[in-house]
Amino acid sequence: MRKSIYSCIAALVVVSGANADVKVGNPMAMTGPIPDLVAPMALAVDLAEKHINEQGGMFASGEEYVIVRADSMCDPVAGVDAVTKLINVSGVVGIVGPVCSGGTIAQAESVSIPAGVVTLSVSASAPAISNMETGTDLVFRTAASDAYQGVALAELALAKGITDMSVSYANDDYNAGLAAVFAEHYAANGGKIHLNEAHEPNKASYRSEVATLGANTENLALFAYYGSGGITLMRNAMETGAFSTFLGADGMLAQEVIDQLGAENLTNATFTTSTSDESTPGYAAWSALAAAADLNPLGPFVPNSYDAAFMMALAIEKAGSANRDLIAGALRAIGNGSGEVILPGEWAKAKKIIAAGGDINYNGGSGPQDFDANGDVAGDFSASVVKDGVWVGKIIK
Amino acid sequence: MWESFGFEFVNFYFVPGIVLGCIYALGAIGITLTFGILRFANFAHGEVMMTGAYVTWTIMALTGALFGWALHPLIAAIPSVFLMILVFFVVDRFFYKPFRKAPTIKVVMASFGMMLVIRSLVQILWGPNQITFVKGIAKPNSFIRELTGSMDMMILVPNKHFLIMGGTVVIVMLLGYLLTYTRIGKAMRAVSDSPDLALVTGIDVEVVIRATWIVGGACAVAAGVFLATDIQMLETTMGFRMLLPMFAAAILGGIGKPYGAVLGGLVIGLAEELSSYPWIGDAPLLSPGYKSGVAFSIMIVMLIVRPSGIFKGRTF
Repeated sequence: MRKSIYSCIAALVVVSGANADVKVGNPMAMTGPIPDLVAPMALAVDLAEKHINEQGGMFASGEEYVIVRADSMCDPVAGVDAVTKLINVSGVVGIVGPVCSGGTIAQAESVSIPAGVVTLSVSASAPAISNMETGTDLVFRTAASDAYQGVALAELALAKGITDMSVSYANDDYNAGLAAVFAEHYAANGGKIHLNEAHEPNKASYRSEVATLGANTENLALFAYYGSGGITLMRNAMETGAFSTFLGADGMLAQEVIDQLGAENLTNATFTTSTSDESTPGYAAWSALAAAADLNPLGPFVPNSYDAAFMMALAIEKAGSANRDLIAGALRAIGNGSGEVILPGEWAKAKKIIAAGGDINYNGGSGPQDFDANGDVAGDFSASVVKDGVWVGKIIK
Repeated sequence: MWESFGFEFVNFYFVPGIVLGCIYALGAIGITLTFGILRFANFAHGEVMMTGAYVTWTIMALTGALFGWALHPLIAAIPSVFLMILVFFVVDRFFYKPFRKAPTIKVVMASFGMMLVIRSLVQILWGPNQITFVKGIAKPNSFIRELTGSMDMMILVPNKHFLIMGGTVVIVMLLGYLLTYTRIGKAMRAVSDSPDLALVTGIDVEVVIRATWIVGGACAVAAGVFLATDIQMLETTMGFRMLLPMFAAAILGGIGKPYGAVLGGLVIGLAEELSSYPWIGDAPLLSPGYKSGVAFSIMIVMLIVRPSGIFKGRTF
């Protein structure tokens, strides 16, 4: 009896080995402070998986490209847990994700870099990620660093004629990093910062914070995730009349903010995010694919998510086998600006060129996606304001 | 911008501190009773708060869809209280009772597990997204604003805060009556003081335990609904976020002492808000990023100096 069980298990192992799928881990913050933002990003990753498998799958044998999703909750601890499980239990080739900077840094330092696995984050934008590696080349991202977004936001504030502000940021890698870049650039170019204070996320009340911050100015630069205090802080700021003008970034750019606070109260709120240059052929290809799948092509980090999942597949295909050690080099080979241009969705074409030994260069919906020495990409930013009850973004140069 | 004396302090630090303290207090009552009578730290308490608020919202949404007008949260909370008490009973019967005679750590771990189970169930049923409890922003009560404004001490308090403070006073008074004058209340205090002695005098401990869940559940739902009223949204970790300050409040007041929990809640709530008042100069005395640290510093100092809490509760 026991022998037959063993042989059954052995047979199963052999069978599953023969049909070996190419597994890629995808930790996403499905729950936590920003589920609204992440849901379409996860759909974009699934869309890339679908396109790849429809057009012949991986390698000559047509193996299936499988996205193994885990919940990283936008939290460093949950991120480490999720990626540990993906690498050690699911045995994934690479990591596409996590969403939040804190989770990305924590999992890279304690799990994926020691394990020699490539992380290709879809939206982690903290400046700290650029220089976090010493001696390895394993952390990449398809979203531009906030070293640029902070500057763009500071210039936007000055262009709007806002000469003095207070800054409030949630105490995490993404928000603190962005606030630091913003405050430095804003002050260096003639803006006056009254107070620059961290706030603890997830509190029930921020009335004392907004009272202190608002003592001398009506303009607030708010860096927070909407679901872990951002909305509450804005509400408290409006209720007490401490602030009338709000500036901020991606973490607050959710429909939830409008639904809860009311569009009529948000006439002076502007939030920036990474966006796509709509004039590129990469964006044209992506927006057609997104429209066919009912996705908003300009949703925050939605194209970046598709690009990351697609580029990870291209890199594995380029490497020629699902070998973790070859992925970083292959990722650089497909994202260095030289070779035949591949647009979103052109999997069959890319596969053919790679099989013939040619070089490819992926140009995504979110931008050209050419990695610099730190594994970062350049990007464009947009500023969104409320119009007819929804966020409407406009690209800023 | 705010010239009149004390205006800023009262409106932006003192009143919010009291409101937060009221919510902590209601939650801490349940925690301290469970701790005193069943002798374990119930980690699932915050999730019951949260689920109670979700059920209340659902009832409001249902009546809104069926009859065109939504029930007031306080009325919708009543059926929610019964439902959550039922949840407490089921959880106690199947997950806590089997460990009643076992070392305490087992039932603490069971409650930790229940916390995760309940939260996941809520995420499955209602989804991980935030839900709007009350839309828009709450302006300060204009009558009081004008009345006090003419006396040169403008008070800015929105109606929702009067509701929370008034509701808490009523609930605490009812609880005081229950514990002081009714038979079951006296039995609860007796079991809290000494379960063995209570047993010899003929008190049915299981009945007392059920009464504990009823009182704790009612207070937890009230706390959850008040919290949702204040932050105007529902979110699946809202109860858990409150759990640790509520534990701090229960320990500060003295384990097993409901009045202690109320006082502890108010002290913790006020301490968190007042710590960032610009007492010296223009900048906050302590960065608001360290608010939670204030609550726990108070708790740790209390545990070292006077482990039985303000009201001389149980020590372990």
